[in-house]
Amino acid sequence: MGASSDPTQDGSDEQQKRSEIYTYEAPWHIYAMNWSVRRDKKYRLAIASLLEQYPNRVEIVQLDDSNGEIRSDPSLSFEHPYPPTKAIFIPDKDCHRPDLLATSSDFLRVWHISESAVELKSLLNGNKNSEYCGPLTSFDWNEAEPRRIGTSSIDTTCTIWDIEKETVDTQLIAHDKEVYDIAWGGVGVFASVSADGSVRVFDLRDKEHSTIIYESSEPDTPLVRLGWNKQDPRYMATIIMDSAKVVVLDIRFPTLPVVELQRHQASVNAIAWAPHSSCHICTAGDDSQALIWDLSSMGQPVEGGLDPILAYTAGAEIEQLQWSSSQPDWVAIAFSTKLQILRV
Amino acid sequence: MATPPPNNSLQTMLRAAVQSVQWTYSLFWQLCPHKGILTWGDGYYNGAIKTRKTVQAMEVSTEEASLQRSEQLRELYESLSGGETNAKTRRPCASLSPEDLTETEWFYLLCVSFSFHPGLGLPGTAYARRQHLWLSGANEVDSKTFSRAILAKTVVCIPVLEGVVELGTTDKMEEDLNFIQHIKSFFIDQQHPALTAKPALSEQYSTSKPTSSSSSYPLVTANNTIPIQNIVDRGEAIILNNNTKEAELAVPNSSFIPSELMELDATLEEFRVGSSGDGSNHLDSFPTEKSMALCSAGLELLQLQLPPAPAHPPTENLAQGGTDTHYSQTVSSILQKNSRRWPESPSLNLLTDSFQSAFNKWNSGADDYQHHFHVSVASVTSQWLLKYILFSVPYLHTNWLKGKGTSPYETSHVMAERHRREKLNERFLILRSMVPSVTRMDKASILGDTIEYIKQLRDKIESLEARKRLTGKRRMRQVEVSIIESEALLEVECVHREGLLLDLMTKLRELGVEVMMVQSWVKDDGVFVAEMRAMVRENGNGIKASVIEVKNALNQIIPRHEPYTLASSDHF
Repeated sequence: MGASSDPTQDGSDEQQKRSEIYTYEAPWHIYAMNWSVRRDKKYRLAIASLLEQYPNRVEIVQLDDSNGEIRSDPSLSFEHPYPPTKAIFIPDKDCHRPDLLATSSDFLRVWHISESAVELKSLLNGNKNSEYCGPLTSFDWNEAEPRRIGTSSIDTTCTIWDIEKETVDTQLIAHDKEVYDIAWGGVGVFASVSADGSVRVFDLRDKEHSTIIYESSEPDTPLVRLGWNKQDPRYMATIIMDSAKVVVLDIRFPTLPVVELQRHQASVNAIAWAPHSSCHICTAGDDSQALIWDLSSMGQPVEGGLDPILAYTAGAEIEQLQWSSSQPDWVAIAFSTKLQILRV
Repeated sequence: MATPPPNNSLQTMLRAAVQSVQWTYSLFWQLCPHKGILTWGDGYYNGAIKTRKTVQAMEVSTEEASLQRSEQLRELYESLSGGETNAKTRRPCASLSPEDLTETEWFYLLCVSFSFHPGLGLPGTAYARRQHLWLSGANEVDSKTFSRAILAKTVVCIPVLEGVVELGTTDKMEEDLNFIQHIKSFFIDQQHPALTAKPALSEQYSTSKPTSSSSSYPLVTANNTIPIQNIVDRGEAIILNNNTKEAELAVPNSSFIPSELMELDATLEEFRVGSSGDGSNHLDSFPTEKSMALCSAGLELLQLQLPPAPAHPPTENLAQGGTDTHYSQTVSSILQKNSRRWPESPSLNLLTDSFQSAFNKWNSGADDYQHHFHVSVASVTSQWLLKYILFSVPYLHTNWLKGKGTSPYETSHVMAERHRREKLNERFLILRSMVPSVTRMDKASILGDTIEYIKQLRDKIESLEARKRLTGKRRMRQVEVSIIESEALLEVECVHREGLLLDLMTKLRELGVEVMMVQSWVKDDGVFVAEMRAMVRENGNGIKASVIEVKNALNQIIPRHEPYTLASSDHF
């Protein structure tokens, strides 16, 4: 394991620009990855391995900004069953709650992080009759109500958990087919995407109904990722399977995309709304590019389609993208066995 | 028709009231809580008595006679309503028979079978309105043909307590409010009985009764005289009947029966609102006829007065709002909670300009190159890792659980097939990276190239194995000799033949090499091995044999079957 700076571009001020890119090489392919949110843990991320076997690995890495190295703490590295499909640190910017990390795979697991160890705090299984729980494809941690985590599963359900009581608050049959992603839009409102090609919005105050706000144009073309703009919850974005475009939706106008972002040269793998701006979004894909778009002019039609304002080219297909909410100047990407953090 | 048990205090009040005004009868219609109708509660008959039956020889007071009569009338009613069987078992020798009754007694008797719904009939109306009703000339109202003085001409109903008090008399009297108040006082005062008051009231009644009795009821007075006068009373009765009906004087019983039937009809008409009775039906069994009539009358009243089930007003079910209504509320809640954030959003451009960003400005000129480069790869590796996480990773759990013996999650056929295809595609990619010479990217070409590569590998294996065999054979013939001053050490390894060791030692002796110690054996594969230690002596000329001389001499003795013997010898 070695950390090194990666001067992939030439510039008039190469020395200073070089410090805006930091790379960490892991011993395995990285998929699940995310930033820490706490104020006192800046430049801390969790990365998880993608190995087709039962034992997998999660590491908590830290950027030492004095020497520009990203280091892994062996005492904060632990074994994880199956490859995690998602990893999120507790959304607790003010450090009021314990330092927690959640991961999803066969079950939802909550891990407690101390200075020199990581231990399993909760294993959340909603199926009382058996040890088996529908495998989870993704989950989202409710920022407004950190007791709540919503999970999505291939068994067509979304489950809302109370992680303090370690119980199921609600379980909904969300779609006709596998549910691939879930995102919170407010205290009691979330949305999900599915293999049935639809985006649905749910309100926990009325669990009998859900609203389809988008369906892919071709029948049964799966939607694979979903992002809800936290700064302006009127907007959300979704990724279509095997598609190079990102669809941006307005929840007030169901079924009509506000704009379709089509500048990637290959399929898109990840999206992330800016945590501090209501009109910026970052997308990353198989063309090894991470693009940042300005959607402030969404209302007016743009000739030839909208162009991104910024672009970064990595060394391989970018599989994961996360925009730090506690340090909004930075985004993190994962490609192949590398983790890179980039200044915006 | 359940008759409540007689209430002694109630009967006392009824008796006191009716005697104070010297009317014919008094009744109490009591509200039945369950049925909600007025039924016969109790009564006191204070009218004329036709035939007196008693086992006592001595005379009783008029008051006692009336009380006894009231009870006897009630017993008669019960026996009639119960049928012949009950009548036989119950009737003592002193009990009354229908033929023993006067018209007013019949009237009183029939009242027992009646019941009134609030708002219906005279008692029902009085109860519903909560005010008294005074009916004067009752007999004329119902039937103008009846002009007999012995029928009830005046009926008064007064609502009290939980029912209605009814008094009737054969005299026609006009409405008198003082009368009403007088009667009410009995029932109001009796609610708080005073011990001292009872004797006084009782005395007043006994004192006032003889006076009013002599003036109002001459017939009753006549009853108290000698038996001869009883016959005279009957005669008067017959005369009255003759005057009314204008019928020939015949057997008294035959004239009596029609009169009672007509009275029964009139009574039923009076109290059955809107119904028509069949009182004129003649049957041989007189008691049975009356019993049936009584039961029929009561049943008809009950049926008529039973209120129809009230129709429940239909409740309007508010139509449930559609999905749009719910979604609007959801959108509103989102907008309200988050509206404060929007003005606070800083501009990203400002931040970008302030710092050295890892990102470059978007350059649309690079589109064409990147487009051509990536299109060819998209179909093979499009969203590979993302789809692997969503389509393959969740099903790792299923395989693991099957291994653990737990009930597996049922995978749909489509997903299983997709999972298999993903694995195959992955392995084709791996295979392509392992085969050095790949001509094209399609699966058929990858397989073909792999087959050729495996063939090349097999050829290499065969040639390497052949070389290994050659190396092994070359080492089958070997002689080593070393001489240090006078000591010699010899090692021989070759194919075995019979007598080889002796030949070697003989040859060495000729060269002046004297063998001192020998170790010799033959391996399983037929290889002869010998290790010898010897002393080298000077020959006649004083010269010792050299290493080369000894080696060449031994090589000539060991077998030479292999064709490359000479080459091997040269090599050594």
